[in-house]
Amino acid sequence: MLAQTSIKIKVRNLFFSYAETAVLKDLTVDILDRSITAVVGPSGRGKSTLLSIFNRLWEDIPGARMKGSVHIHLDGTDRDIYHPACSLPDLRRKVGLVFQIPNPLPMSIYKNVAFPRKLAGGSSKQQVMDAVETALKQAFLWEDVKDRLREDARSLSGGQQQRLCMARALVVNPEVLLLDEPTSSLDAEATEIIEQLILSLKENCTIVMVSHDMAQVKRVAERWLELSEGKMMANGRISAPACRAR
Amino acid sequence: MRTERLVQHLLGLAAACSVAVTVLIFGFMVILGLPLITGGAFFQMFTSPWLPSQAVYGIAPMMVGTVSIAGLALAFSFPVSLGCAALISVLGTGPLPALLHRLVRFMTGIPTVVYGFAGIFVLVPMIREWVGRGSGMCIFSAALLLAVLVAPTMILFFSDSFSSVPKAYLTAADALGATPVQKLFHVVIPCSWRGLITGVVLALGRALGDTLIALMIAGNATAMPGSVLDPARTLTAHIALVVAADFDSLEFRTLFACGIILYVCTTLMVIFTRRVGAVSERRLWRSA
Repeated sequence: MLAQTSIKIKVRNLFFSYAETAVLKDLTVDILDRSITAVVGPSGRGKSTLLSIFNRLWEDIPGARMKGSVHIHLDGTDRDIYHPACSLPDLRRKVGLVFQIPNPLPMSIYKNVAFPRKLAGGSSKQQVMDAVETALKQAFLWEDVKDRLREDARSLSGGQQQRLCMARALVVNPEVLLLDEPTSSLDAEATEIIEQLILSLKENCTIVMVSHDMAQVKRVAERWLELSEGKMMANGRISAPACRAR
Repeated sequence: MRTERLVQHLLGLAAACSVAVTVLIFGFMVILGLPLITGGAFFQMFTSPWLPSQAVYGIAPMMVGTVSIAGLALAFSFPVSLGCAALISVLGTGPLPALLHRLVRFMTGIPTVVYGFAGIFVLVPMIREWVGRGSGMCIFSAALLLAVLVAPTMILFFSDSFSSVPKAYLTAADALGATPVQKLFHVVIPCSWRGLITGVVLALGRALGDTLIALMIAGNATAMPGSVLDPARTLTAHIALVVAADFDSLEFRTLFACGIILYVCTTLMVIFTRRVGAVSERRLWRSA
C-alpha cells in the first residue's frame, strides 16, 4: 500500500519539441510523493526528455521548445518550476538527476560527493564531511571507498561510479530523484545493488526512473507511465512489485 | 615507389634545413660573441651598467627592463584574458561570444606598429598627465600596451582549452545546481590548467620577444630603472638601436650576448610548453 498519496509532480498539457521534431504531445500526469514511478516506452519517445524537463536541464539545447506547465511540491509549497522567480540552482539541488552513463567529475571521490554541498555553501567542513559519509552510506558505497576517499573517482568500477553519482545527488537531500536508465551500462550484480538502493531511497524521496527493462520496472517501480509517439499510452499501478519484500 | 622515396628525401631535407637554420643562428651568435667570452667580460656584462664612454658594456639594465615590461604586461593581461576567454567559451550568451571571438582573432592581425602609434598618441600623453613628470614613456606605458598585444594569444589559447572540457563534466555540474560562474571556477578552470599555463608561457614568449612596442613606448633609457614610471630599454630594443648605429666594435659584440639570452629564454619556454603540452592532455580528455 502506498504510504502517502499526495501529488509531488503535476504536469499539465506539456508539449515539447527539438527543432521541428515533436517529442511530447499534450502530456498530463501526476507523480505521487515518495513513490517510485517508472517511465517506459520505445527509444526516442521523450522519456529522458521528460526527466530533463523536471530539472530544466534541456534549456541549453539549441532549438528545444516547451509549452505547458510543471509544478513540483518543494519545501512544502507548490512551485511552478518554469516561473521566472524559480531559482535554477535551487531547483536542481531539490530535484537531483543521475545519468545513464556515470559521470564523476575529474576529482577525488570525497570531492565529487562534497561538490554539491560546496556549491550550495553555508556548511562547515565537519557538516560537509558528515553529509558525505551519510550519502555514501545511503548509496551503499561507504564500505567500498571509506579508505580511499582521496583517490580519483574515475578509478572506481562502473557500478561504483554510478553509486557515487547517486551519493553525489543525495548529499544535498533532494526531494525528487530522477534516474535516467541508471543500470543500463552495468552488469547484473551492480544492477541488483542499484535496484536495492533505489528501493531504500523511497522513504525519503520521490523517484522517477526511465527504464527499458520491463522486468526491472516490475521489480522496482510501484507505478509506471508509458510514452509512445509523444503521448501517454498508459499510466497505472503495478499490482505486485516483486522486489518490495526484499 | 621511387617518387615516394624522393618525396620522403625532399621532405627530410626541408626538415633538416629548418633545424640547421636554428642551430646555425645559435652557433653564429656564440662565434661572433666569442671575443667577449674569451675576454672574460661575458659574465660581467650581466651585472654591469651600460656606459660605452667608459668602455663598460653591461646589459643589466636591459635585462631588468625586459623582465619588468614583459612581467607587468602579463600581470595586466592575464586576468583580462581569462575573463574574456570565459565569456567566449562558458559565460557568454547570445551573439556576444562569437562576436568577441571574431574581434580577438582580428586583433592578432593588426600590425604591432599600429599599436605603437596608438600608444604614442593616446597612452603616453595620458600617462604623462597622470604621473605629472617625465615624458610618459616608461615601463608602465609599454607594459600596458604590450598587455593589449599579447592578450589575443592568451584569449585564444584559454578559450580553446575551455571549450575542450568534456561536455559530460559540464552537464554533471549543471545537474548538480552549479551556477555558470561556479561551473567556471570549479570545473572548467581546474580541467584546463595545462592550456592556461601553455597560453601564459606563449604570451610571455611574445612579450619578451616584442621589439617595437618597447622601442616606441618605453623610452629606451640605458640607466637602471628605479620604478615602473621610469623609462627603460629592453634587450630587443637594445639590439635594434645598437645595430642601427654600429656594426664592428665591442659594443656591437655585446649584442650577441643579448641574442643568446633571448634565444635561450625562448628555447626553454618552447621546451616547457611541449612538456606541459595542452595538446596531449586534450586528447586524454576526448578519449575519457
